[in-house]
Amino acid sequence: MAKNHYLERFQKGWKIFILNPLGKTGIILLIIFMLMAISSFFIPLLDPMYDPMTGIDPLIKESMPPSFQHWLGTDNVGRDLFAQLMEGAKVAFIVGLASAFVSIVLGTIIGMISGYVGGITDRILMRAADIIMIMPSLVVLLILASLFGQFNIWIIVFIIAIMRWPAVSRVIRSQALSLKSRPFIEASKVAGASDIRIIFRHILPNVLPLAFLYMTFRVTSAILVEAALSFLGFGDPSQVSWGMMLQWVWKSGHMFQAPYWLLPPGICISLLTLSFYLLGRAMDEVLDPRLRKEEERK
Amino acid sequence: MFLVFILAGMLFSCQKKEKVNILKIGLPEEPKSLNVWLGTDTNSRKILSQIYQPLFTRDPKTLEIIPWLAKENPVFDKEKLTYTVKLREAKWSDGSEFTSEDVLFTKKIFFDFKIPRHYSQWKAIKKLVTIDKHTLVFYLEKPSAIFLSRVLTAPIVSKKEWGKIAADALKSEKPLRYLQNHSPEKHLGTGPFTLFEYRKGAYLHMKRNPHFFGTGKTIANHLLGPYVDSLLFKIYGTNDIAMLALKKGDIDMYWWDIQPGYIKDLKNDSNIQLFFNKKSALYYMGFNLRKPPFNDKALRQAIATAIDKEFILTRILQNYGTPMHSIVPSGNIFWSNPNVRKYGEGLIPYSHIKEAYKILKDAGYTWEIEPWDVAGNIVEAKGLKLPSGILMDKFVILTPPADYDPKRAFSGVMIQEWLRKLGMQAFARPMAFNSLLETVKGKHNFDAFILGYGGLNLDPDYLRTFFLSENDKPNGWNMSGYKNPFFDKLAQQQKSIVDDKERRKVIWEMQKILMEDVPYIPLYNPHIIEAVSKKEFKGWVEQVNGIGSIWSLCVVKPKN
Repeated sequence: MAKNHYLERFQKGWKIFILNPLGKTGIILLIIFMLMAISSFFIPLLDPMYDPMTGIDPLIKESMPPSFQHWLGTDNVGRDLFAQLMEGAKVAFIVGLASAFVSIVLGTIIGMISGYVGGITDRILMRAADIIMIMPSLVVLLILASLFGQFNIWIIVFIIAIMRWPAVSRVIRSQALSLKSRPFIEASKVAGASDIRIIFRHILPNVLPLAFLYMTFRVTSAILVEAALSFLGFGDPSQVSWGMMLQWVWKSGHMFQAPYWLLPPGICISLLTLSFYLLGRAMDEVLDPRLRKEEERK
Repeated sequence: MFLVFILAGMLFSCQKKEKVNILKIGLPEEPKSLNVWLGTDTNSRKILSQIYQPLFTRDPKTLEIIPWLAKENPVFDKEKLTYTVKLREAKWSDGSEFTSEDVLFTKKIFFDFKIPRHYSQWKAIKKLVTIDKHTLVFYLEKPSAIFLSRVLTAPIVSKKEWGKIAADALKSEKPLRYLQNHSPEKHLGTGPFTLFEYRKGAYLHMKRNPHFFGTGKTIANHLLGPYVDSLLFKIYGTNDIAMLALKKGDIDMYWWDIQPGYIKDLKNDSNIQLFFNKKSALYYMGFNLRKPPFNDKALRQAIATAIDKEFILTRILQNYGTPMHSIVPSGNIFWSNPNVRKYGEGLIPYSHIKEAYKILKDAGYTWEIEPWDVAGNIVEAKGLKLPSGILMDKFVILTPPADYDPKRAFSGVMIQEWLRKLGMQAFARPMAFNSLLETVKGKHNFDAFILGYGGLNLDPDYLRTFFLSENDKPNGWNMSGYKNPFFDKLAQQQKSIVDDKERRKVIWEMQKILMEDVPYIPLYNPHIIEAVSKKEFKGWVEQVNGIGSIWSLCVVKPKN
C-alpha cells in the first residue's frame, strides 16, 4: 500500500516536473553530461594517449588546435583536451553529488533532531549551524589548503559537505517543528513509539522531498567551489577536473592563445551548474506547499 | 585669459614630458621588505640592488669578478694571507663621501648581528684594517677560494644611515629582529638609483642618483649612465595582466621569467622584443636519506633512471632549457663535470622503465606483479617489495604549487606516473612554498621533494653547503641528510684551494661522488625568457640569468 502511495506521488510529481520547461531543459543537459561522464571510462581504452592525465601524443610538442585526432586540440604537453573534458564531467559529478549527499544527510539528521527534540539540544545545534553558515566556504578551504598543503579530491568533497549542511538543517528543522505538533505524531507518541522511531519513521519521509530539493542546490555550489579551488591552484593536482584544466591553461600562459582550451571547461562548469539549478527550480514547483495541500485533501 | 592659461599649461606639460625619461618596469609581486637586512626575496633584491652596492661584482659577459666599488683587483699576499683592496672615489646618494670606514662598519654589522647569508661568509676574516680613507686590508685565517666571489660581493651600507639604528638595536633584547624591523625612511646608497616614493600596492618610484660613481665610466665594456631619469615599478599580480600591459605599452619591461605559452603571441607583436638567456639554476628531486626506503642508493639510482628528462625538457619546458646531469649546471663550463654518471640519457621512453627495473632487480627488489610479462610486454606493475621482503609503502613527492612554479608541479605529476609504472605508490603533492620549505628543511618530515635554486652562485662552493654532513640539522642546507665522510673531506679541502685548476679537480670528484650516490637528482635548467617593449628604450644587457640586472638599468637608453 505504502509503496503504491509513494509511486503515485512520484508519478504525479514527475508529470508536473516534466511539463515544466525549466525541468525539461535541466534534465536534457544533465543527461548529456552524464553521457560525457560515462564516456570518460571508455576514451582511454581507445589508445593510451587518450588518458586524460598521462596520455601524451608523441607527435605533438605544444598546444595544438582541434584536429581530427584531437577533437578539442591538445594542451602544451600533448594531452587530449576532449579526454580531459570528459574526465572533468565525471569528477564534477562525483564532487557535486558526493558532497551534496553528505551535506544533505548531515543537514537532515541534525535538522530533524534539532526540531523534534528542541530545548538545549536545539540551541546548541543551531548555534553551531550559525557559526558554520557565516563562514565563507571557499575562503575557509583556501586557508586550510595553504596551511596543510594540497588536499586530495575526497578531502575536498568532505570539507565542502561539512561547510554546507547548516542551511539544509535550518529548513529541515522548521519543517520538523511544524510536523512535531501534527496529530499523527501525537498519536504515535501515545501509541508508545520511541523518539528515534518517530524521527526516522514519521518525520523523515515528510522532510525527504525538501531535502532532495536542497540537494540539487548543494550540487551546484559544490561544483563551483571545487572548480574555483582547482583554478586557484589548491585542487588535487593528480586529478583532472574542469577547474584544473582552467588552471593549466592559465598557468602555462595559454589563456589568450588557446580559446579551444580555455572555453570548453568554462562552458561546461556553467552548463552543469545551470542544469542542477533548473532541476531544483522545477522541483520547487512540484513541492510547492499549495499543491501538496490539495493532494493531501484528496 | 583662460585660454592663455590652458595653452601655457599644455606647453609646460609637453616640455616636462620631453625632459623626463621614465623607465616603467612591471614586477610580479610586491617587494617583501625594503630593509636591506630583511628583503632577501627576489623582488626586494631587484630594488635594493639598485641602491646598495658591493665592492666587487661579476662582468655580465665573462662572469669574472671585477672591481665595482673597489678601484682595482685586490692584491693578495700569500704569506700574510691578506687581501688589500683600494676603493673608488665614490659618494653616497646624499653627497657624503664613501670611505673605508663604511666597509669597516658593514663588517661590524655582519659580525655584531650575525646577519644571515653574509656572516657565514665573512667570518673567514680574522681582521679588517683601514690603511687610509680608501684602502683596506683583509686578514684571513686560512686561504679561501671563495673570498672574492662570496665575501667581497656583499652589499656595503653607510655608517650614516645605519650607525644609530645599529647601536640602538644592540641594546635591545633581540638585536637582529630590531635591525630587520626598522623601516628606513631614506636609503643611503652608492648605486645608480635612489628610492623616491613607495606606495604599497600601487607603485615604487626610484630616481637617478646624481652621485652614482659609475656615471660616465666604462666598466666591463659598458659606458654607464644611467640614461633614464627615473624608474617606475608597477606591481602586477598575474602574468596575463602584465603581458597585456606590456603589449599596450603601459610598461617597458616585465622583470620576471615568462612561461613559454606566451611566446607565440609575443613574437607576433612587432613592438615586443624577447630575450632567451641561460640561468644559473638547479632544479632537482631530493630524497630523505635519513630513513628507509630512500636510504638505499640502488632505489635512488633506479628513480633517477626512470625519469625521462628529455620529456621534461621538450614538453614541460617546451625546449626552453637544458637537461641537467650534474649538480653544477652544464652552462658553468669551468666547474661542471661533464663525465659524471648520466642517468637515463639517450633512452627512448619505455626503456627508462626497463633500465630502472633492472637496477632494482639486481639490488634484490621483487614485485607482486612485475612491470614486464614473460613475453616482454609492459604490464601495470604492482607491489614493489624492498630487498628485505617488506612491501614498499606509499610515498609523497612534495612540489611547489602550480601557481608558484607550474614546471616543478607538473614535473612532479609526471615523475609520479613514471614511478607508478615501476610499481611504486608515488603521490605528487603540491604544497604551499613556505610549508614545503618548513617540512623539508625544518622538520625533515618527508619522503621526496622537488625544489630548485633559481639563482645559483657561479662559484660551486654550494656543493659543500648542500651536502656536508654538518649541515644536516633542522633548517640546515643539507636537506636530504646526505652523509659521506670522504665527500665531507673533499668539501672542506676545496674551500681553501686558491688555485682554480687545482680546486676544479676536487670539485669534479665531488660531483662524481654525488651522481653515484644521488641524494639529489638534477632535473633541468630552464632558460629565462623575458620580454620588453621596443617602443621607447633600447640597449638591454643580456647575461646569464637574463636582462633584469643593474647593468641593463645603467645602460638602457631612450630611443629618441
